Amino acid sequence: MYGCTGRCLRVNLSEGKHSIEEIDPELLDKFLGGRGLGVKVYSDEVDPQTDPLGPENKLIFVSGPLVGTGAVTGASCNVVTKSALSGTIVCAKMRGHFGAELKFAGFDMIIIEGKAEFPVILSILDDKINIQPALECWGRTTSETEEVFKKNLTDKWADRETYLVSIGPAGEKLVPLANIVNDRLLSVGGAGIGAVMGSKNLKAIAVKGSHSLSVADGDRFVRVVTTLINKLNSAPLTSQSMSAWGSAFLVGLCNQKGVLPQKNFQAAAFTESKDIGTEALANAFALRSRGCFACPIACIKKTDVNHPLFKGKGMAPTYWAIGALGLNCGIRDMTTIGMANMICAEMGLDPIAAGGTVATAMELMEKGITSSDTLKLEFRFGQGEDLLQALTLIATKKGHAKRIGKGGEALAGEYGAPGSFMGVKGLPMAPFDPRSIQGMGLHFATCNYGPHHLYAYTFIDELLNVHEELDPWSTEGKPELVKRYQDMGAVIDSLGLCNWPLMGLKFNNFVPMVNSCLGTDYRAEDLLKIGERIWNQEKLFNMRAGFDHTHDTLPQRFVKEPIPGGPAEGQISKVDEMLPGYYDLRGWSKKGEPLPETLDALGL
Amino acid sequence: MPRIKIDHSKCTGCRHCEIACSLNHAGVANPRRARIRVFREGNVFFPVIAGPFVDAACTSKVDIRIGDQVYDMCLLCRASCPQKPFFIEAETGFPLKCDFCGIPPNPSCVHWCNSGALELVDD
Ligand code: SF4
Ligand code: SF4
Ligand code: SF4
Repeated sequence: MYGCTGRCLRVNLSEGKHSIEEIDPELLDKFLGGRGLGVKVYSDEVDPQTDPLGPENKLIFVSGPLVGTGAVTGASCNVVTKSALSGTIVCAKMRGHFGAELKFAGFDMIIIEGKAEFPVILSILDDKINIQPALECWGRTTSETEEVFKKNLTDKWADRETYLVSIGPAGEKLVPLANIVNDRLLSVGGAGIGAVMGSKNLKAIAVKGSHSLSVADGDRFVRVVTTLINKLNSAPLTSQSMSAWGSAFLVGLCNQKGVLPQKNFQAAAFTESKDIGTEALANAFALRSRGCFACPIACIKKTDVNHPLFKGKGMAPTYWAIGALGLNCGIRDMTTIGMANMICAEMGLDPIAAGGTVATAMELMEKGITSSDTLKLEFRFGQGEDLLQALTLIATKKGHAKRIGKGGEALAGEYGAPGSFMGVKGLPMAPFDPRSIQGMGLHFATCNYGPHHLYAYTFIDELLNVHEELDPWSTEGKPELVKRYQDMGAVIDSLGLCNWPLMGLKFNNFVPMVNSCLGTDYRAEDLLKIGERIWNQEKLFNMRAGFDHTHDTLPQRFVKEPIPGGPAEGQISKVDEMLPGYYDLRGWSKKGEPLPETLDALGL
Repeated sequence: MPRIKIDHSKCTGCRHCEIACSLNHAGVANPRRARIRVFREGNVFFPVIAGPFVDAACTSKVDIRIGDQVYDMCLLCRASCPQKPFFIEAETGFPLKCDFCGIPPNPSCVHWCNSGALELVDD
């Protein structure tokens, strides 16, 4: 088998035992690996009605077949489980170096089952698999966990090659907004997975190894990868914008197009774009580029956050952090946003979910639906200290922040104002206003994982016009666009690549790399078909977990209230208009259920 | 004489160079079989290219201070040395040494390093 190691590690924490299994090659044919494999194995093994925080739930870490082989951006490891926040299946993407090192340690996949009696760390170091007490690490922030774990390694050189994923205090305390943090402060997208890891009493996983990965046609593979690196290097978005600013370069652009939400999506315009754009970022932070494994783009920006707590080990905020923690809470001071982002990374909170929840609380308070006396906390739009305080308290589940930590939907529901929660399927929305970017809106409504941009990069065409020039306000061709990007995303995740290269490469450009690496002869259509199969597999799981077409919708604000001002004034989301077309394209019934013939054709 | 110039301030720590080298020389992807390794020290990445084999460790060990960081010389040292596990072929125990990927030099690691941290210069 090329690319893959073909091995899976199953760890039962209740019994403290582990076993090594072979991965069925037929599954790899049908689902590629990575996200596809994880989703398939998870749906087969776990009851969709299971309690996400119960010991019957499982947590799967799975690296795609291209990860670690040197394929361009082959770094992505997926975390598959049932979300503690939304209750849907969730497949979080984790970049950085953990995924590749997992393969060098000899495994494609780790399946975590059961619940440990006391906090533990799973370490897979040079074929020695160990479930050890977390002792000193429990209770610590994510970067401290890494430091302490590495300090205790007996081999003085080992810390150079060991990579960790861990949860922070938020995950330990089972806060549903928690996520997992990887490789020194790189948050893993997807809220609710940190609490699942915490419920298993698993603080961290450490990997290191020296296994080799073979590729099918080495000479051709090296040539193809070299061409792709050169292509990425000549595309302006990947070689300049992303390399210089990370995704934060989108801020200015989204601001101009009226896509950038403000104050819990009550407005979508900003006049003084100067204090939030790249210039402000550069003024606030000294940026240093860091790349995930085998990535020529290197969009991750390290920086020094000037705060005694964080001793110069920080990540600069991305577009998602600036949008969700910043502008959507009415905050535009870059230093505050940077601090909030750091609290999220250190405490193990998901920035988008936490930001969305705080924004909901702020709106409730602004409208007088609740007050600071009832919540015992201040929430005012534009007040940095409110945000920072709330984040810290949510993460540590102190006092009244417990209520807020349950997420925006629960909070808005509690005060009888569900319309103040801006999210879908219980998950707060990524910072794109669906009224002024219709395709993204349709994706937010239909995505199996909740309203997360990471599963369909339609903005590449709608805003940046990289491959096609599409009008973000029009609904024309959008169902096709959304379906294509969703399927494409499923393929890219399953292979273990990153989506950002799509800003410089076409999907077809990946195909020779895949074939020369894996020894297959896929065409682009074959891969997209697999993507569609994965999407339907996820959909089936969600249906069994109790989600139906009534959950494929956007908050009422987006379909009833036009954007009040700015460049996209008057726009409204036409999601209901697009939905039937989308279901049709997918071969689903009017109620959004896959038709038997669709499933047959996909072999499900 | 052609040399590979390393500018560590540009290095992003992506480790693509390690895989380029191991694919070229070992035919597989495995950083432990590469003749270039990238190490993180604080916030900085140092690409280190394998130099000569030594059969015993130095008797004098030093730490060097650059700015306010203290670095362990052993880490930045290019030797394939019994004191450390790098630049020793994992499966056979043979020492590894950079050969510039042939004559004339055609360094795979430089071709895949997109940040400009590695550069082939002739002087
Ligand atoms: S583009 Fe960014 S997120 Fe994607 S692999 Fe490269 S550095 Fe990582
Ligand atoms: S020049 Fe060739 S042998 Fe030397 S480190 Fe680079 S890839 Fe390896
Ligand atoms: S390829 Fe270049 S940027 Fe990446 S780790 Fe190697 S030297 Fe650094």
